[in-house]
Amino acid sequence: MANSPARLPLPIPEISERLRAQFGEDVTEAVDRHEHAEVRVAPKRYREMVQTLRDDEEFGLDYLDFVSATDYPERGELEVVVHLYSTAHNHHVRLKVSIPRDDPRCPTISDLYPGASWHERETWELFGIVFEGHPHLVKLVLPEPFEGYPLRKDFVLMSREAKVWPGDVEGEEVEEE
Amino acid sequence: MGVIDKVPVPKPMKFILNWGRRYSLWVMNFGLACCAIEFIAVSDPKHDFIRFGVIPFAHGPRQADLLVVAGTVTDKMAPALKRVYDQMPDPKYVISFGSCSNCGGPYWDSYSVTKGVDQFIPVDVYVPGCPPRPEALLHGIVRLQEKIAGEDIREKWSGELTRPTAPANP
Repeated sequence: MANSPARLPLPIPEISERLRAQFGEDVTEAVDRHEHAEVRVAPKRYREMVQTLRDDEEFGLDYLDFVSATDYPERGELEVVVHLYSTAHNHHVRLKVSIPRDDPRCPTISDLYPGASWHERETWELFGIVFEGHPHLVKLVLPEPFEGYPLRKDFVLMSREAKVWPGDVEGEEVEEE
Repeated sequence: MGVIDKVPVPKPMKFILNWGRRYSLWVMNFGLACCAIEFIAVSDPKHDFIRFGVIPFAHGPRQADLLVVAGTVTDKMAPALKRVYDQMPDPKYVISFGSCSNCGGPYWDSYSVTKGVDQFIPVDVYVPGCPPRPEALLHGIVRLQEKIAGEDIREKWSGELTRPTAPANP
């Protein structure tokens, strides 16, 4: 690859435009977030989009950085976050997939990026998101008898039940003397 | 164990045996987090715990007399640590090094961190700190040696104090 011309990163508006052109209504949001393209996609076309981003020469997103999730109990949603990077173009794309909290199912991408396998297992055990089609969805970092999904906001920390958090709570006014 | 089990050990004999044991502690480092780095610093020439007769590093738990648990023990790691401890021959000692292995430390409210290694193995000396300075471990070792010097050798060698118990994660 030493003789090939340097490939420049795709500008973020162009990434958004191309994805909107191909996926239309299923792209609900495509913005520039901290100089990374952040794309919100419907669960039904999530796999297809990952495949496009990986195989399309112009995107060339050959490196999976991480798969994780966020819990939004007030919206009743869990959000799968997938961060992709291109080693050739040096640009990032972050995908977000909103799925209902009471039936958290999401297609797997572990066949497209083998590295996603452990990330998905971890996301499954910490958030309870079932990655459909994953070949080996068993606990990875938690001990076998563990019950519950500890990174969900409503997970009860027993130590905190016995003793309240002694420090300042985020957003709470600190009284000045 | 032989003669020691059968007859009371005379005081001078007890003194000599304990004196020998306290200055030849083969140490097993169970390093799990940043405390392990401090432990390594103690074994380096600057702090040098070999001058106290603490010999790093035993090739395995079966050659070790002293287990130093340095770092954050999680519920997933607990069975492995228990197993290492159970493999050590009697008489054996445990130093819990740092806040995490003492009581959970900064992870006191975590869902995964064991709140103190003494929940499943007996601990002889606790070294506080986050992480403790190397000098703190040297102090802990001296304290342990004081403890060994005053020990009833028959009771310790019987293995009654350190008998294997139920697994850490039933």
